[in-house]
Amino acid sequence: MLRYLLRRMVAMPLLLLGIASVVFLLSQVTKGDPLSALIPERMMSNEQVVATVKAQWGLDRSLPERYLIYMGRLVQGDLGTSFSTRRPVSTDIAGRLPATLELVIAAMIFGCTSGIGLGIIAARFKNTFADSAARIFALIGSSLPVFWSGLILLFIFSVKLGWVSGPGRLDARTEPPPGITGLFTVDSLLAGNMPLFLEALGHLILPAFVLGWSVTGIVTRLIRSSLLEALNMDYIRTARAKGAPESVVILHHALRNALIPSLTILGFTFAYLITGAVLTETIFSWPGIGSYAVSAARSLDYPAIVGVTLVGAMAFLLANLVTDVTYAFANPRVKLEG
Amino acid sequence: MFQQRLTARMSRRHVPALLTASALAFAAFTPMVFAQDSDTLVIARSMDVNSLDPARAFCDTCQIYLSSTYETLVTLAPDNQSLVPSLAASWDINPETTEFTFHLNPKAVFADGSPVEAKDVKWSFERLLNLKGSPSFLLDGMTSVEAVDAKTVKVTVTGPDSEFVNKISATYAAIINSDVAIEHGAVADASAATADTSENWFLENSAGSGPFTLAGYTPESELRFARNEAYYGTKSPFSTVVITQVQDAVSQAQALESGAVDIAMQIDPDTAASMSTTDVTTEVVPSFNFVYVAFSPGAATAEGVLTPEVREALALAIDYDGMLDFTVGGNGVKQSSPIPNGFPGTAGLPEPKQDIAKAKELLAAAGHPDGFTLSAVYPNDNVYGVDLNLMMQKVQQDWAAIGVTIDLQPQTYPVWRDQLTGDGIPVTAVYYAPDYYGSGQYVAYFAMTAGTPWAGRAGGKTPETVVNPAEANLYAKALASTGEASAAFYNQIGLEMIKDKIIIPLVSPNLVLAYKSDLAGVRYSACCNLPINEITRK
Repeated sequence: MLRYLLRRMVAMPLLLLGIASVVFLLSQVTKGDPLSALIPERMMSNEQVVATVKAQWGLDRSLPERYLIYMGRLVQGDLGTSFSTRRPVSTDIAGRLPATLELVIAAMIFGCTSGIGLGIIAARFKNTFADSAARIFALIGSSLPVFWSGLILLFIFSVKLGWVSGPGRLDARTEPPPGITGLFTVDSLLAGNMPLFLEALGHLILPAFVLGWSVTGIVTRLIRSSLLEALNMDYIRTARAKGAPESVVILHHALRNALIPSLTILGFTFAYLITGAVLTETIFSWPGIGSYAVSAARSLDYPAIVGVTLVGAMAFLLANLVTDVTYAFANPRVKLEG
Repeated sequence: MFQQRLTARMSRRHVPALLTASALAFAAFTPMVFAQDSDTLVIARSMDVNSLDPARAFCDTCQIYLSSTYETLVTLAPDNQSLVPSLAASWDINPETTEFTFHLNPKAVFADGSPVEAKDVKWSFERLLNLKGSPSFLLDGMTSVEAVDAKTVKVTVTGPDSEFVNKISATYAAIINSDVAIEHGAVADASAATADTSENWFLENSAGSGPFTLAGYTPESELRFARNEAYYGTKSPFSTVVITQVQDAVSQAQALESGAVDIAMQIDPDTAASMSTTDVTTEVVPSFNFVYVAFSPGAATAEGVLTPEVREALALAIDYDGMLDFTVGGNGVKQSSPIPNGFPGTAGLPEPKQDIAKAKELLAAAGHPDGFTLSAVYPNDNVYGVDLNLMMQKVQQDWAAIGVTIDLQPQTYPVWRDQLTGDGIPVTAVYYAPDYYGSGQYVAYFAMTAGTPWAGRAGGKTPETVVNPAEANLYAKALASTGEASAAFYNQIGLEMIKDKIIIPLVSPNLVLAYKSDLAGVRYSACCNLPINEITRK
């Protein structure tokens, strides 16, 4: 196991460098004017302005030169400066990643707990009203477009009923907590500021629900099918024959095995949401990585595109590693060998 | 059985505790009462900030930011037409309109308490010119700026320029506290374009004399101002102003209705009409923004097709009234020339009209009785409430009536720009908002005069085919005269630009000002977008 982990940890930076190279080169050959984020349309015919900006940002150099300079800086941890925000990409990402992590973690907690619960109910009461209701809820969660469900739920629960807070991580009139982790719920608790914690939580609930609902859909269906399969196994029949209560049979025996196939999907879903929560982030004015990625792509902001890609790749690599390790712990038949 | 057990476990003794927890949770997550009486003003906006350095910034949000944290020598009055003193208490112009002497307000101080002096004006203007940033063009033609004494500045320009004072009312011509900026890497001399290293500092700090200072900026999230307690003018009642990123019109309307924000800046008329809250005021006001279709006869794929007769036929085929209904639900106005309505020289210009019969006649005379096919490439954007896709679909429909087919190709903005600067685009759609009050900016950008951006794009490799010499002569005369005489020359330029049929304005959309009814002083400004310091709570 240790050798396996070491091998994966050593391969990871090399993989990231490879990904950075591919993305850098692809974004350089993509059709589009790289100056669009640097020079407004009205100034793009001004030769002096164009020459000055190109020189400032190194865009007057050849592609191989730009590649070598970029990679040279990257290995030193410098992701470059964003064309759009004019700030170091690492600063932009460090400012936005905690917002996305907070949202994704909350969404995963909601999605997993509700998905597992509904999956158990659907499997236990197969082909009953409860099963149908759970599956319909799951189906709606996975099929409703986030931009629609987000807007509708915001309108109902924030505008009309006033039960939850509106867009943003906090009310715009509120000062954020001192930045320790960047997760406002955690930082406000660390600062001992309970009203701020409740406000941050109030802002988190709706976007986490909207994003987590799609996870609920996936998890419910996975758990239901795995559980149904497990409930027909011999060891379940044995447990029942021994007189084990149904809740023990399901929660202690069947669910543990049914969860194993879900681990892979959950790991990848978590990694996907790190950069894939863009619609939720847009609707709820959540300043995360997803909206940064879209903005970078729209404006051909090469340094930001590569930076976000590296974050996404890192999330997938880590999620993959954690899934593999967890899988090995959960399923003793799986051995991780170097 | 499983369900029964779960229910059984939830015994009656748990019920009061659960009810209390639910009540607490409900109270916690229920949004607080927001706007009323708060001394923080919150504005919802989809921000487009490219920089917070006055000499590099060039965007609508930048205008709001710069007019709140910096001041210019002169500014635009609420009538959106006349210039009034700001940092300069008065100014003199020589009869040739080549020398401009400004007398600074003796009370003016920067946010750090130091006085605004002529050296700051000289330094700021030289930096704006030498940095070669996006707004540097405002000072093109400035030959010298001289600090006559601590409170007097004299600017000299190469040739007559009756619009110079208008140009420096643009927010980008802000006066910066030179001592503070120099300390943080700002450079004003001829090496500024390469030697200045202050842009990042300006993203976190302001160095102006405006009613607010920069308190914080998180790109695409929020822009926060704090009241400048050292401000020498009337101080704002708001201690903090926050421009918060809310991407689309519907979300902005929801945030306004829920009380999360006080002002929503980019609501379209349809969304405004759908709001049901009574404590929100919506005003529809004319803007100076406009959206246009542009022809490039010199584009590689259009050579020989877009002759003056064909361009006139295409312009005549457009249903301008229908376009207003189709794109902005009637909440806009037609615009005659590339100079927007209300700017000097636009009074009396003929309104565009549809004439299908004449369009067909012209097309037949030009050798295209059965029409032709062209490609239209444009940014896939929604600007000032106008969806360019919808607008071009209407153009496509109108031109089909005279047998002309256009292949619509919406592109991302960088791809569109790449094509525009490459082989050119036969037909495109773009937009424009003023940088200051003055017609010269439109002539310098849209006129078919050698060297202007649109003459270059329209002419492609053969710019001489589109150049209209009359416009350069008239522009020189407009700059050498003032007042009514100058406006008369701009009027003639407007007529010439209409004849060019290169830029065809389609819609000047109205602006919706949507704000909480307890606010006063919310208005649209042609120079500054939203003058925040004029806003108060009733």
